[in-house]
Amino acid sequence: MWSDLIHRVRAVLRRNKVEKEIEQEFQFHLQHQIEKHLKAGMTVQEASERARVEFGGLDQVKERYRDALGTRWFEDFLRDCRHGLRLLLRTPLFTSVAILSLALGIGANSAIFSLIDRVMFRTLPVKEPERLVEVGTGGLSHPLFEELKWNITSFTGFFGRNIRPLGNPEIVIDGQMEPVTFELVSGSYFSVLGVNAALGQTFTEDADRGRGGNPVAVISYRYWQRRFTSDPAVIGRTFRRLNTVFTVIGVTPREFYGAVAGQEPDITVPLTMDAEVRGSQSCLGQFGCWWIAVMGRLKPDRTAEQARLELVAIRGPNISDGKAWLSQMWAVEPASNGFGTLQRRFREPLTILMGTVALVLLLACANLANLLLARSAVRRREIAVRLAIGAGRGRVIRQLLAESLLLALAGGTLGVVLAYGMADRLVMMMSNGGRRLLLDTTPDARVLLFAAATSLAACFLFGLAPALQATNRQSFLPALAEIRANRWRMGKGLIVVQMAISLLLLIGAGLFGRTLFNVYSVDTGFDSRGVVLFSTNTATLGYDNERVQAIHGRILSELRALPGIEAATVSKYPPVIAGSWRQQLLIDGNPVKGAPNLNSVAAEFFKTYRTKIVSGREFDEGDTGMSKRVAVVNEAFAHEYLQDRPPIGRRLSLTVERNSPYEIVGMVKDVKAQSLRNQSPSAVYFLAAQVPPGDSHTFALRTTVGTAGLAPAINAALTRVDGSLRMQDLRTLDEHIARSLLQERMLATLGVVFAGLALLIGAVGIYGVMAYQVARRQREIGIRMALGANAASMVRMILWETARLTLFGCAIGAAGGLALSRIAEGIVFEIRPNDPVTFGAAITVLLLIALAAAYVPGRIAAHTKPIEALRAD
Amino acid sequence: MDNERLDLPQGTLDLLILKILGLEPQHGWAISERIQQISSDVLQVQQGSLYPALHRMERRGLIKAVWATSENNRQAKYYQLTRQGRKQLETATAAWQRLAGAVGQVLDAV
Repeated sequence: MWSDLIHRVRAVLRRNKVEKEIEQEFQFHLQHQIEKHLKAGMTVQEASERARVEFGGLDQVKERYRDALGTRWFEDFLRDCRHGLRLLLRTPLFTSVAILSLALGIGANSAIFSLIDRVMFRTLPVKEPERLVEVGTGGLSHPLFEELKWNITSFTGFFGRNIRPLGNPEIVIDGQMEPVTFELVSGSYFSVLGVNAALGQTFTEDADRGRGGNPVAVISYRYWQRRFTSDPAVIGRTFRRLNTVFTVIGVTPREFYGAVAGQEPDITVPLTMDAEVRGSQSCLGQFGCWWIAVMGRLKPDRTAEQARLELVAIRGPNISDGKAWLSQMWAVEPASNGFGTLQRRFREPLTILMGTVALVLLLACANLANLLLARSAVRRREIAVRLAIGAGRGRVIRQLLAESLLLALAGGTLGVVLAYGMADRLVMMMSNGGRRLLLDTTPDARVLLFAAATSLAACFLFGLAPALQATNRQSFLPALAEIRANRWRMGKGLIVVQMAISLLLLIGAGLFGRTLFNVYSVDTGFDSRGVVLFSTNTATLGYDNERVQAIHGRILSELRALPGIEAATVSKYPPVIAGSWRQQLLIDGNPVKGAPNLNSVAAEFFKTYRTKIVSGREFDEGDTGMSKRVAVVNEAFAHEYLQDRPPIGRRLSLTVERNSPYEIVGMVKDVKAQSLRNQSPSAVYFLAAQVPPGDSHTFALRTTVGTAGLAPAINAALTRVDGSLRMQDLRTLDEHIARSLLQERMLATLGVVFAGLALLIGAVGIYGVMAYQVARRQREIGIRMALGANAASMVRMILWETARLTLFGCAIGAAGGLALSRIAEGIVFEIRPNDPVTFGAAITVLLLIALAAAYVPGRIAAHTKPIEALRAD
Repeated sequence: MDNERLDLPQGTLDLLILKILGLEPQHGWAISERIQQISSDVLQVQQGSLYPALHRMERRGLIKAVWATSENNRQAKYYQLTRQGRKQLETATAAWQRLAGAVGQVLDAV
């Protein structure tokens, strides 16, 4: 087997050498034979003639010898490729259209595949990733995490990690300040994953002991390369974060990128060092602060479901945090490819996009098949001659397929290049204006393999049918008309397929476009125009809460003094944001079921966002950390917790606090707190100075003079307050909302792009087939014209033909759309996925485009001169 | 004399080549000479069949070729049996003998 392959490969690759050896061997043989005859007494002349006769025709022998080499098919293939290349180069327009449409199709497929692969399929490069599970997808509080550690038995080990990225904290290294990405993990992180240090060592369980007592850090391989130029002496180096000096003790292996795809941290430190890293934002030891994502390694004899049941059972006297609504959080999900943050977010849109681009590629293939069909009509004579002089049908099909293969390979190669760019753009889109997701978009072996397989499949998809059709022997019989009709039928079939696919893509674009529109049309409860948001680095400067509050107060006074600023405020959360603070409350001393959405805000919050105050008042300058404790609720809260009775004067307290309660002083309209798509939740607003410090804050300004030029003014104001303050993430409220609609925007944008592409390809297809149709029926048209048909009726005939094909395709496409509508169920908003208006609009658009594309061939038909038509052919 | 020479039945050439090479490594010309000599000039090997056969066998891994200097100081391609070839020689010989015996029996009996 092996020797066979080696011989064939050698015969192909070292062709000249092999030929020379054959020659040499034959010469050797001849000479021996001549010598033998000489000895027998022949003359030189006789001997050499005799030897040659005995040997047989030298070239024939060589030919048989080559057959024995087993490389004939390959040589044929190369010859076919050369021939195909010549033909393709002779029709540059066809070739470039074909390659470009394939490249777009294959490129888009490879790009989406590379992202799906990174986000969903690739398992963590750790020990037995299939036994890893994620516990409670919403995150746990630190006390709960600690309690679980002692109670759960389903795992051989489990670890915690901060659930959201920590922003860009700055560290001081070699006397210089630089921003890095941090990750906080429990001591068991590396041992549970089974990851050993590439250099130095990792943490052990000891790192979980004593808050603030483990100032050690493990750095990522890439940070080590980038910042320390892979210097092994990095072990033992120190850096300062806030007031703590950390020592680097290890470097993670090259292939390890953390437990979350797309979020590789530069520096990993123990969870117990949270306060040292995040300062006043630290949630360590706090109840009600859900910030730890947990992953466990199942014992060999346990399943994810058993672990879940155990977790549900553990909820009881031991668990002091959260209680009632905790059990619903106990999802236990496989985590062989890491925490599913990205996966949960992008699974649906990426799957839909994958389907979309697959359709685009199918469309491109159908179109290409049609073009090839027309092309083979032109080459009818050449093919007939080849068949007539004895080439087998298979041989000619192989030759035609070689041409398709060349197109597919060129398209695939260009496609991989395009895929790189497209995947990069998609990652930018998915990063959503925030820190770039660290998804490597360089096409790797898996993506290349995918692209190669796709190209090959495409080659057969668009190449086989035309090749079979072109070599159909009957095509060359006198009854040509019938065969041409056959070819025409196949062309029509392909047009119907193209129209069906185009319609599907149009419907998708319509649904996703209208979803985006509908989401934007909801009543948000605030006025987003003229509002600018930004954050500052106050929390990372290591100031205590009092100082932070004082600084925030001074920033607000500075901001309010700026020209054109109508109002300014700061809050833990702006509207429409993924984060939330939920806690159980007591109303007038009685605990209530459920946990409303809480927010801590500064004065002028509702004025800045223009949220209507229904009754009472909002926080003003008179409310301070020293004054009476007050709260504002929304209508949904009054409805859910107070049975719509007037809320003013009622008293609220946070369960874990023993301080005096908060008096409700106002009620406001509901505000979309988390997502524009969700019902506004019941909400309570506290004054920031009167509640425990939070882990984030966002300033908001309402300006009457536009947002341009605001950045320098804000920066100057910050510097006046404190030299080390910096503005972060300046954006308008509209931009902020757009970020929350990532999925909707992504699907709408890409849906429209691909639908546009589909229309373009479809139009080209219609045009090509109709033009061919007109050329084919020139004689018929000429006769009709001669018999008195007028130009308009000729145009009508072509348009009617087009309309019929398009509507037939639409019928199939619409049926497909209905069948697929279930997929879009969870994605569309305030529209049914089988919305008849969308379907109708899509059909209308497609029909109009198709008719427009067919109009030009129709005009050509109308201008056919009867006499010329009859003379032709 | 030419009339007495026989063309080889299909498939037997490979067996003869194996047998010849079983004695010692040889180049192409010597193989054809040997077959002719040993068969007392009865069997005539067509060069047009010999070389393709050699190559086919080389591809199948039954023999392997090395370039070496021949007795009269010229570069020649010497073929020799591989281990697989030696095994093939045994089985093919046995099969041939059974076939020849059986055919002989039938011919004698009738």
